[in-house]
This record gives sequence, structure tokens and C-alpha cells, in this order.
Amino acid sequence: MDRPDSLVTRRAVLGGIGTTLASGGVVYGASRLDSGAAESTAVQFHASSQSTGFGIDLTGHPIMGTPDAPLDLYYWSDYQCPFCRRFERETLPELVENHVRTGTVRIVFIEYPYLSEASMTAAVMDRCVWRQVRDEEPSRYWPWHSAVFEAQGEKGSGWASRSNLLGITRRVDGVDAAAVDTCMRQRGREIESSIRADVEQAAAFDIRGSPVFILFDTASEAAGKLVGAQPYDRFETAISRIQNA
Amino acid sequence: MSGSALGAHVSRLLAAFGYPLATTRRALVTAAFAVATYCLLVLSTFPAYSMQMLGADLGYVDDALLALTANTYRTVGGAGLGLIVVYAVTTGVALTTTLGRVRGAGATGVRDLWSVLPGLLASGCASCGAGVLGLLGFAGALAAMPFEGNLLRLGGIALLVGYLSRVGHPRRCELASTTDEA
Repeated sequence: MDRPDSLVTRRAVLGGIGTTLASGGVVYGASRLDSGAAESTAVQFHASSQSTGFGIDLTGHPIMGTPDAPLDLYYWSDYQCPFCRRFERETLPELVENHVRTGTVRIVFIEYPYLSEASMTAAVMDRCVWRQVRDEEPSRYWPWHSAVFEAQGEKGSGWASRSNLLGITRRVDGVDAAAVDTCMRQRGREIESSIRADVEQAAAFDIRGSPVFILFDTASEAAGKLVGAQPYDRFETAISRIQNA
Repeated sequence: MSGSALGAHVSRLLAAFGYPLATTRRALVTAAFAVATYCLLVLSTFPAYSMQMLGADLGYVDDALLALTANTYRTVGGAGLGLIVVYAVTTGVALTTTLGRVRGAGATGVRDLWSVLPGLLASGCASCGAGVLGLLGFAGALAAMPFEGNLLRLGGIALLVGYLSRVGHPRRCELASTTDEA
């Protein structure tokens, strides 16, 4: 049976209000989902110029953990990627505590700048910071890396501009911002082309976003891939599976 | 378009939006369609992640939805996420209206299923485009689009609204006025 027009109009208005409330509620909820800060505590880092059995050339990549860890976790990320930030905040601390500090896993940080030009700027600066600290105090890389992810802003807002990133670098103890700036100017192009080679290699591994992880057992050569900021228990399961493969 | 034709479109649009709220059953069906559409759109923003999470255990669906909702908010902003919600609700209304039309008009109504497809596809592609393009090897392609694809989402919603303003209340037949025909 048809209803009077005024009733239909009232319902349509109610529907409109409902839609607006639903949109507002979801948007507000989403804005609160990612709050909270990650803690970065000292952890061992080392440099290497070897290639792994999986085909990753470790030259120039920060490596967290002990050199003789039986499992490698290759971690592709972009400093502008919100999902990488989520992983850094919610999963990485537990992973470090339970598997890196205990010597089971070492994490190889690989830049995968794909979101914009500023992603490449941040990636090149990452490599420059690593070059600057890797010989004397490699663990100084970690506070810098965490500080940049903590400062992550909206893509294209300018937060990842060279000057802003240098400002962040100045606030991190043990990292010489002037030396990083010099490295950016003098070796920027060379580093950029090496990062582009890493991006091409990532494509060969079927990596098309970030964060992406490949877990590799150096003894058995078993490997597995995890895509996105998955919860800690998914990493726990993957580690057990690769260890028992 | 004359003033009276515009008025007729607005009146039909209001009737289409009022239809799902006429009974509790229709409202629930509309809400179910809207929620299902939202889940589908959000999960498809990062299909490889969603498939791994849901493939491991369907219990991860809430984790995946929350994580991807937060990720979508930070990637396309409040406006982009709001457009996805509006798109999901409008899709719910369009599907309920189309269902009502099919049940009421039979074969004639079935043709309306085809008329709603362009809007659904256009906006759906924009909403889940990042993930699908990523799967196809064009990571970051949606990021290069105007307003991160929000313009395309808005276009899709406009198509759905256009469809609803054309079909109106699915249980009513309207005769074109002489003004419309002129």
C-alpha cells in the first residue's frame, strides 16, 4: 500500500540523516583507530655486504638482530605508507622482543618507495643515515627510523620533504644531520638508483604494495610471504611454520 | 531540464530513499546490503592482505576490517572514507529498490538490474581500485588519480543517485507530464 508523500519525505530525510551519521561515525572511529605511540628501545643492528640464499644483497640495508640468526625477515616498506606505520606500532615491538632479541630472527629493512616522490626522498635519507651510523653506532639507526614513522603525516602534506626530514634527524641523538645532508647532496643519485634496483627486484618477488615480508630460513631455504600489517600471532604462526618446514 | 522535471526527479529520489524505511524488513535488508558493500569495498583496498588474513581464519575479519578502515582513512582522508560509506548506503538503497521493482514488475524490473550496474561498477572500481590495481601490478596508481580517486567515487555515487531519481518508488507507476514530454 502506498504511503502519503509527507511520510515518504520524512523517511527519506531520516534515511539521509542516518547516512550522514553512519559516515561521520565510521570516519570518526577510523580517526581514533590508529592512536598510540610505538616505543623504541635499544636493539642490536649490524651491516653486511653479503648476499643471502634468497638473493637479497644486504649491502646498504640496516639489519636488526644477530648476524647468525637462523631466520631472515625481509621487510619492504615506504615511510609514507600508513599500513607500515601500523605494523611498526602494533606488531614490530612484540616481534623484536620475542624473536629478534632472542636471536631467532634478524630483520632486513628494504626501502620500497612507491607512493610519491617524497617517499624516495625519505628512502634516500634512510640510506644516508645508515651510512653515517653503521660503522660506529649502528643501533642509532633505530631511533631515527622510529622517529620518522612517528612523524608520518598525510601524503603530499610536505611532512616528508627533505627539510622536514632533516629537522627530524636533528632531533635524534647520535645522528649527524649535517653529514646526512651532505650525503643526500653528494650521493643522492647513486643511492636512488640502488633503491630503484631494489624496487625492481621487489617486483620480481611479486611485491606490489607495502608492507610486505618474506621470512627465510637460511638453513632449509624455506620461505614464506606475509602481506600487510598483520597481527603478531600471524607472524608467530609463520615463524613456526618456516622453522618446521 | 525544466523546473518541474527537476522537481519530479527530486520527488522520485526522495521516494526511492523512503522506500527501504517503510518496513522493518526492508530497512534490515538495506542495512545488510550496505554493510556487505562496505566490507567488500574496504577489504578490496588491499586484496592480498585480506585474502591472507581471511584465508588463515575467518575470525580475522574484524581485525582486517578495522585495520583497513584505519588505513583507508589515513590514505584517502575522512572525505574518501565518508564517500565509501555513502556509496555503501546508496548501494543498499539501490539494491533494495531494484529488488522491490523486480518482485513487483517481474521481467520489466529485471532490466533495471542492468541499469544500476554502471553506477555500481564505476564507484566500486574507484573504491576498491587501489587494491585491484595493486594486484595487477600498478601499485600507487590510484594515488596518482585526482583526489586519490575521490572524484571517481563521487561520480559513481552521482550515477547511483541518478538511477534512483529515475526509478523512484519501485511500487509506483508514474505517467510523464506534458511538460516532461515537451
